[in-house]
Amino acid sequence: MTNLKVLGVVLGTVAVYTWVANSIPQLESVVPEELSFGADVTEAELVAAGQALFNGGGGCLVCHGLPTRAPNLLTDQGGEGTIGQRCATRVPGEDCKTYIYESLTEPTAYVLDGFDPMVFQARVFSGAQIWALVAFLQDQGGPVTVTGADVAAAAEADAAAPAAGGPLTASMDPLEIMRANLCLGCHVLDGEGVATGPPFDGMGDRIDADRIRRSILDPGAEAAEGFQDQLGTMTPTIADLLSARQLEVVVQFLAGQGG
Amino acid sequence: MSERGSLARALRRTALPLLCAGAVVTALAFLAEPLFAQGYTPREYGDFPIIGSRAAVWIAAQLHLFFAAFVLGVPMFAVVAELVGMLNKEERFDKLAKEFTRLLLVSYSATAIWGAVLVFALITLYPRVWGYLAEVFAPSMWVYVGVFFFESFTLYLYYYGWDHLKKGRAKWVHWGLGILLNLWGTIVMVIANSWLTYMMSPPAEVTPDTAPDMVRFWSAFANATWMPINVHRFIANIVFGGAIVGAYAAFRFLSAKTDEERAHYDWMGYIGNFVAITALIVLPFAGYYLGREIYEFNQQMGTTMMGGFMSWLWVVQAFLIGVLFLAGNYYLWVGMGRIPGAERFQPYTKYMLVILVLGVMVWATPRNMIASRDELTAMGGQFHPFLGVLGVMSAKNTAVNLMILTTFLSFLLYGRANKRPTVSWAQRGTIIQGALFVIAAAIVLFYGVYGYFVPAIVRIGFSVYQVLAVLAAIGGVVTLNVLMMRGAESRGEIRWGQMPDRAQYALLVLAVTFTWLMGLMGFARSGIRQHWHIYEVMRDTSVDAATPALGYASIVISACVLMFLGMVAFIFWVGGLAEKPVISGVGSVPPPEPAAGD
Repeated sequence: MTNLKVLGVVLGTVAVYTWVANSIPQLESVVPEELSFGADVTEAELVAAGQALFNGGGGCLVCHGLPTRAPNLLTDQGGEGTIGQRCATRVPGEDCKTYIYESLTEPTAYVLDGFDPMVFQARVFSGAQIWALVAFLQDQGGPVTVTGADVAAAAEADAAAPAAGGPLTASMDPLEIMRANLCLGCHVLDGEGVATGPPFDGMGDRIDADRIRRSILDPGAEAAEGFQDQLGTMTPTIADLLSARQLEVVVQFLAGQGG
Repeated sequence: MSERGSLARALRRTALPLLCAGAVVTALAFLAEPLFAQGYTPREYGDFPIIGSRAAVWIAAQLHLFFAAFVLGVPMFAVVAELVGMLNKEERFDKLAKEFTRLLLVSYSATAIWGAVLVFALITLYPRVWGYLAEVFAPSMWVYVGVFFFESFTLYLYYYGWDHLKKGRAKWVHWGLGILLNLWGTIVMVIANSWLTYMMSPPAEVTPDTAPDMVRFWSAFANATWMPINVHRFIANIVFGGAIVGAYAAFRFLSAKTDEERAHYDWMGYIGNFVAITALIVLPFAGYYLGREIYEFNQQMGTTMMGGFMSWLWVVQAFLIGVLFLAGNYYLWVGMGRIPGAERFQPYTKYMLVILVLGVMVWATPRNMIASRDELTAMGGQFHPFLGVLGVMSAKNTAVNLMILTTFLSFLLYGRANKRPTVSWAQRGTIIQGALFVIAAAIVLFYGVYGYFVPAIVRIGFSVYQVLAVLAAIGGVVTLNVLMMRGAESRGEIRWGQMPDRAQYALLVLAVTFTWLMGLMGFARSGIRQHWHIYEVMRDTSVDAATPALGYASIVISACVLMFLGMVAFIFWVGGLAEKPVISGVGSVPPPEPAAGD
């Protein structure tokens, strides 16, 4: 009898918890659908794909379903209407399509007062997925101007993206190389960038070209003075993303920064 | 028990875990080179019949973790119990520690078996992921197996050497073995934690294009969530071990044939519950640390966890933790019935119950739920018109801190029930203790209310003040209590064994709830990776890539819990056939004679 009672308590407790967990709204984290649109994609197809991403795998509702975290997109925000109605007036001289696209791909570009920069990470989405989102958001009260040409261009850009280990840009301009490789995400140059690591300004006065080259080839080997606690944080594979010529361009450019 | 018999048993028990460890080593060795040699490309995913690959790996991992948590948690308080016995020269603690270890011994093989099942499941069902992890973490995998080897032998030395290393310095050597056992166990845990936390929070420099052999080992090993998980699991293992020991004691109590057995298992159940609830009080702080590190690692991951598709999970978690607090306190309150002098405290329990119930209700109140446009419209806005105000962190932190204070008060009253302090300052000391409770509660309430009037960024910092106030009160009250109870008179012996059966069922509910909660949190930790095997580095392209909703997860969790408890029951039963339990010698005291006129 004792055994049966114990079994009953165990099974009953587990059953209650299972029932509670099944009684609440069931939300599944779906996988963002891969899109393979061509230049002949229709507006309806784009909007439908964008809606599926927005409500599902894109994870947009995590913040935009909660106006405390992010501006409302599907309903009125501050009396300016839905996103499709207000997007064209947000930045003077910038059309709706460009505004939404840049908001998605550069989350810090336009941050509304009272909100933090968006945490959406566009890098894990394809160009077609981004354009589908733009189309869906435009469709919230406004005309859809995303075209098949935008999608086709994005697909070409995705296809032309560098293979693993290859350079991210073919440019030989040091600034372009550094921007493409997100160097300014941690280093400041002429007021541009984020001051996490040693500044590029005046670098030539502090260390020579050899040391700069070593620091790029093996970032974890030695720390810059005052930045010992940052040792090991710079990506060790950064040199794999530069051609030999690009490496030298950057090294010489940085060595020339100073007095 | 003859020495030869003990040795033979030890060797038999040693054989199985070592065979499992050997199997894992062999699997690793096989995987290291030949799969990638000669242009052979391994398939990305395997198939598991009926339940699918994801559920198969999920169940194997969860069962391994349940057993691992138990065999890591129990040695921690076994050595503490042994030390208490040594210092106070109370043999009952030594015997208790030995019985804890006996439970540990029989669970050890199951831990190893499920570890091997998990590794083989990963190799056969997720070869691409496993190959990647093996390449990044190979050195630590070899160390893991080596330390596991040492842990096994230390455990057998610890248990089977108990009676041989009993006196004088030898006893300290034995205790040292217990410490060593904990050390090995902790190293094993932190190594395995690095693998799973890497999947959650790989270093920023690792991208989908980074070849695994380019990932720097230490950077991957000591990733952003590694240490918070270590701390959280360390504490949670103690909670879990205590709860399972409590449930074991409860079952043995209910099945006991003699008063002596009942007294022993009543006492053992109390110790198990004490350990579990004491560690549980600290666990929310470790959880807060882990949550903060997840946010710092990746804000999107943090937002997904707390406000995304997992937002409802925290309502269920609050419900489970509410059950834990209520069942733990209920057990103590019922237990006061067998303590002479406790009747003077019993009128207060109803007020404590009210605080706990209100606390649970506030804690379980959702605030930011992911909602569609239709749902927002139906609710009439983003927040519920009445309950929304209780869903903010100010209210939740206030509720949980008051629940912790209340639970601590239950323990204090329980411990003081049959004691009468004799120190001259006893009355003042009690007043100061009361004042500490009131001050802590006032600070918690003040910051809870003030939090509604300041921006969120300021409000977040208030939780630190609330936690510090509670911890300071607990520290101060305990210190005073220790000093005050020196030389205290007894109002009568605790009547161990005279505990109502319903209290034992409360212990069983505690164990089931802890186990289920552990499964739920495992789902939360793993699920926030969503459709990534390694977050934003390796995408899950299998048919099971979508992270399931809580309903499906709860079925898998329940299946794991029932399988675990069933196996534990079987293992303990088999262990009980071979060896008689070590009765601690806790005296059962006859019930008091009814007073005249009753």
